[in-house]
Amino acid sequence: MDRRSAMKQLAILTGGAVLMPACDFSEESILQAYQNLKITASQKELLTRIIATVFPGKVLKSGPDLQLQDFVLVMCNDCLDRGQQETFVAGLQQWEAFSNNQYGKKFSQMNATEAEDCLRATLAMDGEGDEKKNATAFISTTKRFALQGYLNSEYFMTEIKPYELVPARFYGSKKIETA
Amino acid sequence: MANLTIKSKKDNSYDAIVIGSGMSGGWAAKELCEKGLKTLVLERGREVKHVQDYPTTNKMPWEFEHRGTIPEEIKKENPVVSRCYAFREDAQHFFVKDTEHPYVQEKPFDWIRGYQTGGKSLLWARQVQRWSDFDFEGPARDGFAVDWPIRYQDLAPWYSHVEKFIGVSGNKDGRDNLPDGEFLPPFELTAGELYFKDFLRKNYPEREIIVARCAHITGNAEFYAKQGRTLCQNRTLCQRGCPFGGYFSSNSSTLPWAAKTGNLSMQHHAVVHSIIYDEAKGKATGVRVVDANTKETTEYYAKVIFLNASALNTNLILLNSTSSRFPQGLGNDSGVLGKYVAFHNYRAGISGEFDGLKEYTTEGRRPTSGYFPRFRNVYTQETDFLRGYAAGFSASRSMVNDYSGIGEELERAMTREEYGPWRVGSHMMGETIPKEASQVSLDPDKKDAWGIPQLRVSLDYDANDEAMIKDYLEQMTEMFEAAGFTNIRTRDDKRAPGLDIHEMGGARMGKDPETSVLNKWNQIHACPNVYVTDGACMTSTSTQNPSLTYMAFAARAVDHAVKNMG
Repeated sequence: MDRRSAMKQLAILTGGAVLMPACDFSEESILQAYQNLKITASQKELLTRIIATVFPGKVLKSGPDLQLQDFVLVMCNDCLDRGQQETFVAGLQQWEAFSNNQYGKKFSQMNATEAEDCLRATLAMDGEGDEKKNATAFISTTKRFALQGYLNSEYFMTEIKPYELVPARFYGSKKIETA
Repeated sequence: MANLTIKSKKDNSYDAIVIGSGMSGGWAAKELCEKGLKTLVLERGREVKHVQDYPTTNKMPWEFEHRGTIPEEIKKENPVVSRCYAFREDAQHFFVKDTEHPYVQEKPFDWIRGYQTGGKSLLWARQVQRWSDFDFEGPARDGFAVDWPIRYQDLAPWYSHVEKFIGVSGNKDGRDNLPDGEFLPPFELTAGELYFKDFLRKNYPEREIIVARCAHITGNAEFYAKQGRTLCQNRTLCQRGCPFGGYFSSNSSTLPWAAKTGNLSMQHHAVVHSIIYDEAKGKATGVRVVDANTKETTEYYAKVIFLNASALNTNLILLNSTSSRFPQGLGNDSGVLGKYVAFHNYRAGISGEFDGLKEYTTEGRRPTSGYFPRFRNVYTQETDFLRGYAAGFSASRSMVNDYSGIGEELERAMTREEYGPWRVGSHMMGETIPKEASQVSLDPDKKDAWGIPQLRVSLDYDANDEAMIKDYLEQMTEMFEAAGFTNIRTRDDKRAPGLDIHEMGGARMGKDPETSVLNKWNQIHACPNVYVTDGACMTSTSTQNPSLTYMAFAARAVDHAVKNMG
């Protein structure tokens, strides 16, 4: 499928009402950084909202603060095979329509609580049919890479659970103080 | 023209040539240079200088674009090397890519190679257990392969010689099937490992867990400072190259030491085509080399040649070194060259949990693990399969976090510090039996980019290996259950031979020139100024990681060569 017909299909699926600042689907350009995914800036925006729901920044820094949307897309672009990439992109393209059909509201219009519930329900869903399967795979892949990026971020590995490049010690039977 | 030839012959002449700069080649070079021989080391790959050519060594986890994962495109193009546990984003530049150096797999064989200064010594798992006479006497006792022409006593002083120089951390355990060596202070066993060791002492008195001996500096810092190396800092990022020189590699140790003598010449991008045999003189006179970049051929000459190209490439070079005296390959009067190749069986493993020792954990990182010396068929034949297996064993504890949530719940879970149960695990290291059918040969048609025939590899597991896997899993399960471990899971990952990276043999040592390629000094029977002291020389495989034995052979062979040069 070429980009134009993909866009048309997205427009049909979403009822033409996705949040797209460029307004004209047919002219919204593909983000060059992710050649294998062929996604648009507005799709990346939607992904960022999902990541902000997974890591809202209530206890720690938020996912978008750590630019996890970039990391998720880099991993999807470089480290998934062709089939996994197609599923991910299909899940992303269908996400607004899917959430609307499944939960009665487009994801982008949900408040924080609704968005969290929507992700939880999607992750717990038994995938019958392509759309459900795509949605579940899309959300679980997004969460998996976002979590990997978070746990391996400079912020987390210096401020929350510091990583030691040079431990210079090993104790095999260290007594736990609080036990 | 005649003058030119003479001149180039003089310029290209050395006392000794070493083919390969890896584990055993580095040792040959060090010993030859120390004994005053002008030595040329030929390395087919690029130069990797200690520290300055370790580009990832001080990188933090977040500095790797894919946090360690190898991108799909590279995996797809290089399925063989992608199956190697150490082929990750931080060390991928030290591995040969499948596409660059093709070979023919008659049966699936994952050939893991490192073409650069130091070869695979940069990447190895650094395990250095000595062999014992239970290993050297194996073929004679159990009636396979041929009898080793040496015994433990022949090699023991050379094990010591090597261990002192490379630095080996270990405990003197007093085991007759795993002799003690020249050890620096050992790493600690963990509380979980000590528990299992104690359990075995009470319930399986002939079985024992020890801390695996590894080539890391843990003491005598002043001595190693002379090599520019210092104490291991427990980074466990060894595969990137160590800026402290905490573990042994040719790059950090033997090659710079050899260079300091002023007797070393290193030639990189030097792909050895063959060894030159002079029929009139009845010996080898030099080496034919193809420049990896220009593809120009040059000949280098020496009185003695050490072949240390890595087990299978050494076979390839010998098979490709044909002359009217040796039409089937250099030193191949017996017809066994390329045959009786074997490896280590790493297919099976087991894991479990232990719910005790709640008051203990581990801290820091350890570049080795527990080690289960072979206990099967050691003193007498007691099973329906030949030989046995050693095993890695480790018990460790880490934080567990429940990452299943979304939003604030997930963020809170990520900050929690809660210890999980002890996790225990083991993997087998089985001895395989060298057989005539297990062989490598030259492809009659396919050539590599340098006009050298591609290697055909035909290795497989056999019924003995299958029986050993079954026994390992049964025995480990029984011991794990009896020790109170839970959630026990066993695996047989059916990996192809090769991923153990312990391929051995093809130019085996033996007493009889009719059935072996090398004599007890690692010399080719029929061409004694060529010594083979890498994995190709191995008559049988034992269960112990082989690199230490190759290094000891290299040092011993150089001593012999120099004493007999006259």
